[in-house]
Amino acid sequence: MTSRGRLAKYSLWQFRDFVMERGIGIVIIGFLWGYVMFEPLRRTMGGQWRGDQLSPVWVILLQVSSAVASLSVLIAMNGLVSIDRKNGYYRFLFSKPVNALAYYAQLFVVYMVGVLLAMALLSSLAHIIFPAFSIVNFVIYSALIYIAMGGIGFFLSVAIRYDWLTLAAIWLGSRVLRGVYGPKNDWRSKAVELLPPVHRLDDVANSLIGNGTAATSDVVWLLGYGLLFFALGLVILRYASLAD
Amino acid sequence: MDFLSPTSNGDRAPAIVIEFKNVGKTYKSLLGNSVKAVEEFSLVVGEGEILGIAGPNGAGKTTLIAMMLGFLRPTTGSIEINGAPARQYVEQNGIGYLSELIAIPSKWRADTALVRYATLAGLPDAEISGRVGYVIELLGLEEHRDKKVKALSKGNLQRLGLAQALLRDEKILVLDEPTHGLDPVWTQRFRDIVEDLRRPDRTMLIASHNLDELQRLADRVAIIDRGRLQRLVATGYEQAPSATTRFRIAVARGHEMVRAAFPQAEVAGRDEFDVTVHGIQELNSALANLIAQGVLIASVVPERSVLEQQFREAVGES
Repeated sequence: MTSRGRLAKYSLWQFRDFVMERGIGIVIIGFLWGYVMFEPLRRTMGGQWRGDQLSPVWVILLQVSSAVASLSVLIAMNGLVSIDRKNGYYRFLFSKPVNALAYYAQLFVVYMVGVLLAMALLSSLAHIIFPAFSIVNFVIYSALIYIAMGGIGFFLSVAIRYDWLTLAAIWLGSRVLRGVYGPKNDWRSKAVELLPPVHRLDDVANSLIGNGTAATSDVVWLLGYGLLFFALGLVILRYASLAD
Repeated sequence: MDFLSPTSNGDRAPAIVIEFKNVGKTYKSLLGNSVKAVEEFSLVVGEGEILGIAGPNGAGKTTLIAMMLGFLRPTTGSIEINGAPARQYVEQNGIGYLSELIAIPSKWRADTALVRYATLAGLPDAEISGRVGYVIELLGLEEHRDKKVKALSKGNLQRLGLAQALLRDEKILVLDEPTHGLDPVWTQRFRDIVEDLRRPDRTMLIASHNLDELQRLADRVAIIDRGRLQRLVATGYEQAPSATTRFRIAVARGHEMVRAAFPQAEVAGRDEFDVTVHGIQELNSALANLIAQGVLIASVVPERSVLEQQFREAVGES
């Protein structure tokens, strides 16, 4: 028998795994985070509660929604490749006529669809209490951050075991280091330019979630950085051993 | 081709299916220490052959199999399957593989795990249900099919691992410690299954600690130790050596006549004798003599099988 594995059909199983193991958790965390942040505010403000972008709550909503999107990507990326290697699941998966690159590239895309659906659901809830909050804009922002952050996460998951922690550390570390050394005009300011362009996220979040636009250079930086690391992850997967 | 000569039955030499070409694997630590897991391993396996791989713990059996499936890259040399690089062959054709460590996500149900693997194996939807049902019945997993993997016993998990390896009608099967954790009933059942799987166009590799199992199932056994191929042993009895061998003979009637045929026979128990002969020709002559005199032989068991004897010599044990 020489038939190839039915990877496209298997994407349904991958999506099911996402929903059961990560998607439900993402929605619950996002909902609870939003609820404990905004329900007390809504009660306190009473009749003063406004659902437009001039509301004082808008800035908080931007911050929280952006953070929920980042956290969702972290959860989605956790162990994407490394769990299969660590636990030895790769043995049965890849003794079948399946290309590991195609398998994990598809997994990355399926999880992206899962994250975007979860974000669409959460933003629909946010839209109910805050009509100015655009579901479409937030989903587009989530897609951007998934590729930017998820691309690095994918690379880390291929390269090391503790991918989730490392991704969080790199993301936060880049923010701190860029804040400290970025404004200086020395070698350190040039060195931090190599770090993930997290400093561009705030502006992108404000403009993209707010009015659906963003500076092209910021979007290109974020997408390019993520896609570059995603491609590097695929290269490592191609040339390194699947087994530890 | 002499690599298959001990087991070849026909005139035509079987085609080479798997070829290890001077394969080596060295693990290096971050501190620069290196361990050679496999060294200069060369071997060819022919179509229709069952090759056993035997060796003590840490001999390099599993590393060798991992390289054959393309999970590990050899440091030196190469492995080809049907003329293609090993990993390329596996990605294009698949291999029925049972690993030593049965690693299936614990939350999966036994039957859905098989459906998933069948999908990855490329079985069409119309065939999946039937094939999954077949392997579940073959491996006696009917009452466990709804259970989660984490709820399965070691033996049932092993059977589930074997079931996923048999989902397709594979041309190549690789079984690493296949009877590990199986009870005696299922160990025997496994042997029957392997015998049923034997086909002229199917090649099988079985790595095992169990020499008796390999003696029964394999055509040849590669004995490896410290990462090197130490010896290649044909298991057929026509290859039995002419060297001195000890047997235990049990006699049902006429035990007083045993010493006449075997002067050096030692009493090993009630109606049992240990005898030393120089080759099976001498054994058969002496037994024929005893039987002609009315002695009733209950059993003749070699103290060590041909394989066990070779194994002990190869790995330096006595």
